[in-house]
Amino acid sequence: MSLILVLPAIILVILVFVFPLIRYAWLSFHAVSVSTGLVMVPNFGANWSRLIEDQRFWQDLMQTTRFTAFSVTLEIILAIAIALLLDQRWNGRGIIRAITILPWALPTTIMALGWRWIFNTPYGPIEQLTQLFGIEYLNLLSIPKYTWITTVIADVWKTTPFVALIILAGLQSIPNDLYEAFRLEGGNSLQALKKITLPLIQPYILIALLFRVAQAFGVFDLIQVMTGGGPATSTESLALYSYLNAMRFLDFGYSATIMLASFLLLMIISITSYILLKRLRLLTVK
Amino acid sequence: MKNRSIYYIAIITWSILPLAWQIYTSFSSPEALTAPILNHNNRWTLENYIQIINSDPPFWTYLANSTLVGLLTTFITLLVAIPASYALTKISFYLSSIIRLILLGAALFPYVLLFLALLEFARKLDLGNNLLALSLPYSALSMPLAILLLSSSFRDLPKDLEEAATLEGLTLLDRFRFILIPLIRPAVASTGILVFLFTWNEYPIALTWISNENMLTLPVAMARIAGSSIYSVPYGAYAAATVLGSLPLLLFVIIFQKQIVSGLTQGAVKG
Repeated sequence: MSLILVLPAIILVILVFVFPLIRYAWLSFHAVSVSTGLVMVPNFGANWSRLIEDQRFWQDLMQTTRFTAFSVTLEIILAIAIALLLDQRWNGRGIIRAITILPWALPTTIMALGWRWIFNTPYGPIEQLTQLFGIEYLNLLSIPKYTWITTVIADVWKTTPFVALIILAGLQSIPNDLYEAFRLEGGNSLQALKKITLPLIQPYILIALLFRVAQAFGVFDLIQVMTGGGPATSTESLALYSYLNAMRFLDFGYSATIMLASFLLLMIISITSYILLKRLRLLTVK
Repeated sequence: MKNRSIYYIAIITWSILPLAWQIYTSFSSPEALTAPILNHNNRWTLENYIQIINSDPPFWTYLANSTLVGLLTTFITLLVAIPASYALTKISFYLSSIIRLILLGAALFPYVLLFLALLEFARKLDLGNNLLALSLPYSALSMPLAILLLSSSFRDLPKDLEEAATLEGLTLLDRFRFILIPLIRPAVASTGILVFLFTWNEYPIALTWISNENMLTLPVAMARIAGSSIYSVPYGAYAAATVLGSLPLLLFVIIFQKQIVSGLTQGAVKG
């Protein structure tokens, strides 16, 4: 009886999460593009050897990794600070909470272009401010070396609230008596943060970290709308590259290869960092 | 307390300032946007809003589309996830732990990587350009999180309660209707709200499944304005669209703030 109730859900999950990966594995060993008339022709690993020699793939991998590393690190640090503030008992807390959630609740595409407008040269507020101080135009959106920074800022703005809420849950799971006992023993609040708060919210930070790394590694909406991967593919993410391969270059075999490779890389990153954290004893939870 | 309020102000400013700039832009005339910041002639205008409201198809079409898909997805997800979550508490602990672990992995997965295979589904089953068909991938993608959230609250219910109801002769359906679902209502509410939010904001699948102008969901419609001309984005009109598109969500967040927070935090605790 129980199995009948679970079955529809399991089928849906397998259909949407497992089947695609198997399908990609199959596609990645076939040429399916305009040149084959969109018919599947086995090409014996040609997609994979192309991937290994594809400069653009490696550049996008580096860019995606850089984006992930910077935005997730900033998000976690800021989120801990915000969560500590939101944890304080205070009358207007509800309103502040609603305001802080808002950036996360809005569709990414709604503000992606808003951010492009904010960084616009010369009419955006950032450039107008720099003008006020007599600094030259930053041209952040047209210099390939710097544009990725604007995408990190936009992502941090949008996602920090989400991370903060998860960490807030961790803070609220800590019993108040613990702090009181610590104070009676003569510890100050900075020590309490180090000795009680941070160790106890570690599992929550870890869950947020895991989720955010996976999501940031698959970043698509923000990049596609805000910069379109430009200038000169400098902000292109792996997900965007595979999207372009499928929808613009109509090369489905190669697109599937990139997506499967991204997935495998993500698995490797997650597992190694988990083992590493454990080895370094930075991780005290299971 | 005093220096703490500085931090609060900093958080609020950081959250609101980019949106405030959009609001400012939406009421500014094109001349004002390109002229130096202190120019006061012909400064304010409603032109951007008039343009957005009178566009073809009218802007509210997208809001209606997103709402429709959101409601249908939420309904389907809960319909499938509630019985499944209940059943997870009945099967062996070992098996249910494995299933929960798999679900956790699926919930963490960056689903954008699935778009190509899902697009193939759409083409095979002729589901492209069908607004309501979007609910199928959406509910399937929401399933892991929904089951994780709901099954943990089913597990927290006292066992005797259901046993007593069974002895009274209530069927499974009656137990769901009169006892189980009313008891886990908070979890159902926050799950439903998170699923609705996900659907409302979803972009890559809607982008690849729908091309008919009248069926676009809000996120895709917004991105279309961006892509319409890469060199001269109509920023004023776009900002007006941003404001109009954000208002329903602002209301939503204010009304359901509690459920959103508890849904996310429960997800973190139980996940």
